[in-house]
Amino acid sequence: MFKVGSKLFLGLSGFASFNLVAYIIFVERLAIGGVALSMVLAALVGLTAIVLLINEGDSESQPRDNALTGASLWPLMTVVGLMLLVLGLVVAQIYFVLGIVVVLAALAEWLVQAWSESASDDPAHNESARQRLLHPIEFPVIATLGLGVVIFSFSRIMLAISKSAGAVVFIVAATLVLLAGSWFALRPALKGALVSAICVVGAVGIVAGGIAGAGVGLRTDLAEAAEEGHYLHRECGVEKSKYFDKKAMKTLSLRSNVTAIIELRNGELSAVMVGFNEPQQRVTASRANPVTFIFRNFDAAERRMVASLGSAMAAGMAAPEDEGHAEKNETCTQLIPQGAEQALTVKYDKPSVAQDAPLTLTVPGVAGQAIEVLVP
Amino acid sequence: MKSRRLALRTLAVTGTTAFLVSCATNAPQDTWQPKGPNAKMIDDLQQPVFAVAGIIGIIVAAAVGFAIWRYKDRGQPIPEQTHGKPALEITLTVIPALILAVVGVFTFRVIFDLARTDDTQLVINVTGQQWWWEYDYPVQNEWGITQPIISSGQLVMPVGTKVLLRETSRDVIHSYWIPALNGKRDAVPGRVHTLRLEADAPGIYAGQCTEFCGLSHANMRMEAVALSDEDFAKWVAGQQAGYRAPAEGTLAKEGESVFLNQCVRCHQVEGLKRADGTLAIAAPDENVWSGAAPNLTKLMSRNTFAGAMFDLLRDACRDSVWRADSAEFGAKYLAGVDETCLNVNDLRAWLRNAPEVKPMYANPALLADTNGKYRGMPNLGLSESDIDKLVAYLLTLK
Repeated sequence: MFKVGSKLFLGLSGFASFNLVAYIIFVERLAIGGVALSMVLAALVGLTAIVLLINEGDSESQPRDNALTGASLWPLMTVVGLMLLVLGLVVAQIYFVLGIVVVLAALAEWLVQAWSESASDDPAHNESARQRLLHPIEFPVIATLGLGVVIFSFSRIMLAISKSAGAVVFIVAATLVLLAGSWFALRPALKGALVSAICVVGAVGIVAGGIAGAGVGLRTDLAEAAEEGHYLHRECGVEKSKYFDKKAMKTLSLRSNVTAIIELRNGELSAVMVGFNEPQQRVTASRANPVTFIFRNFDAAERRMVASLGSAMAAGMAAPEDEGHAEKNETCTQLIPQGAEQALTVKYDKPSVAQDAPLTLTVPGVAGQAIEVLVP
Repeated sequence: MKSRRLALRTLAVTGTTAFLVSCATNAPQDTWQPKGPNAKMIDDLQQPVFAVAGIIGIIVAAAVGFAIWRYKDRGQPIPEQTHGKPALEITLTVIPALILAVVGVFTFRVIFDLARTDDTQLVINVTGQQWWWEYDYPVQNEWGITQPIISSGQLVMPVGTKVLLRETSRDVIHSYWIPALNGKRDAVPGRVHTLRLEADAPGIYAGQCTEFCGLSHANMRMEAVALSDEDFAKWVAGQQAGYRAPAEGTLAKEGESVFLNQCVRCHQVEGLKRADGTLAIAAPDENVWSGAAPNLTKLMSRNTFAGAMFDLLRDACRDSVWRADSAEFGAKYLAGVDETCLNVNDLRAWLRNAPEVKPMYANPALLADTNGKYRGMPNLGLSESDIDKLVAYLLTLK
């Protein structure tokens, strides 16, 4: 009555029962973990019942030729993945995620290898079956990882050297790649080993350069910019900022489902909000919650939007790198040209009644126009 | 014989379960009883789809069950194995594809209809946090809302009006669901999602957070209160009325002092002033992880507290409001909570030790991840005398 499958599921059900009882006794009776373990147990009992009911589907036991089974690296890789996983639980999440990826990949490889080794009596056919199944996955993954390492290494080089040297290195590297590619294309008779050797030498050179670049660190101006927080220290006047964070123009995720879109059109400001059929002059924003506005400039001159944060300072603005605009109690977008838009996320920790002056959204250089922000 | 007995037992258990489930009489969150056009739209779609899916499900389950029972291993020889029947396979692919295509056409139509915002008549901002909902009504002069109104626990809306909720969250993802009025919509930090609501008749419609959001997720409830236009106008006027301080020398006045000493750290009451005459501004951003606590300005105009987990009304008064007919409902709801109807036991228990009656992360030893800020209301260690005073004061917030 009990065969391999039913024994496995019975064992798993027993193990799950033990875990559930231990959890209830030693942890907490009504915690969510107990419910989850109960669900696992119920699922396993259900599977056990099905396996027993159908008599495991096939009573014919297949004789297994152990001679066909070869050595395998994957059990070792699975253990390595499990170790990473456990290490990640203690040290850092990245190791945990890496462990899961390694365990899943190693198990998949292991399962397919085990299956292919008993597919037939012909080892060559078995290996071919394994390759047919896994090569379409293995090659792109290995290529992606390899390219990733090369690109990352190249980026470390470019961040370490000066701007002018970077341009030279980029041109030289691109020229070398172009020349090598053209040579390979014009000489199809070249030995594969030679082509591979050239590619490997190139890749190793870039990786070595990347390691050296990472050791040197960011070039001086980038390091200073990061240290001084130029992109956080906003200058909210009519003048153009010395530093311009182009990334702020590309925050696509912020452009949907925002609190309001503030439009500057023909020198007039208005707020467009979902649910309101007409443009508004007042916006209600919830307290102590980041709210995002999109500023759209339809006028010819470059403009920025400034959000006043009121006399009761928003807690999030008190960071050392923000001292500049903390004094002014305001934050702003950058100057954007006609037709452009930029997101601005603001947090009002105190309500409007706590402020000495109304909270507003204004545009420097555009007089008499303001959107009032009401924070209940 | 054994299998027949097993089948009979299975049938008996299934039948009894179905019978008991159908016996529920008080089921305010029943998805099968739509009370507004949006919920009816979903119901009109899901009824035929459920019927079609049910029939197909029964056919498939019966076929699988028959195959398991008829062809189980009894030691018989393995029959001849065949592979592939193109005509059958194509038929079995095309028929489900056609069914899904028909269902898809009607489903997309409903999805787009439910996503409309251009016909909105009233906008209400809804903000979720652990474990209560905040409602604020932006300025809308056509409804007499000249300054934002802020409330919690109960969403008040006019009957027969296309209301648009603009949802967001202050901490984790929550989900807003009043089954009788529409489907679910997630409230996601940093984003504004919209949900249409419309009620056919005056009444209270219950709902619950449907996205697991932490320890008291199951206690994060909400109620939508639908009022006639006239009653809604009265409610708006009442919410915008100024603060009335308790008379000097009363227990409520002493309660106001307790409130100023203890509660105003997190809870705002509009118009409440300190002894020096300055406005008392709550600072939940400094004390609570989500940065907000329920605004208690018109607490006794609501019927619930603590994230709608508890009723402010005693059972008899509550039943009187919930079961009132359409003509009387508005007046009964707008009467709010007075001393005779106050559910004083639950309110006192809450004030005495909130985490004991609603699970919250209020243990200071576990607050390292939140920089010492509470998730939910902590135990304030109030004396029974202070609780008496606070209850008397809270009763004046109407």
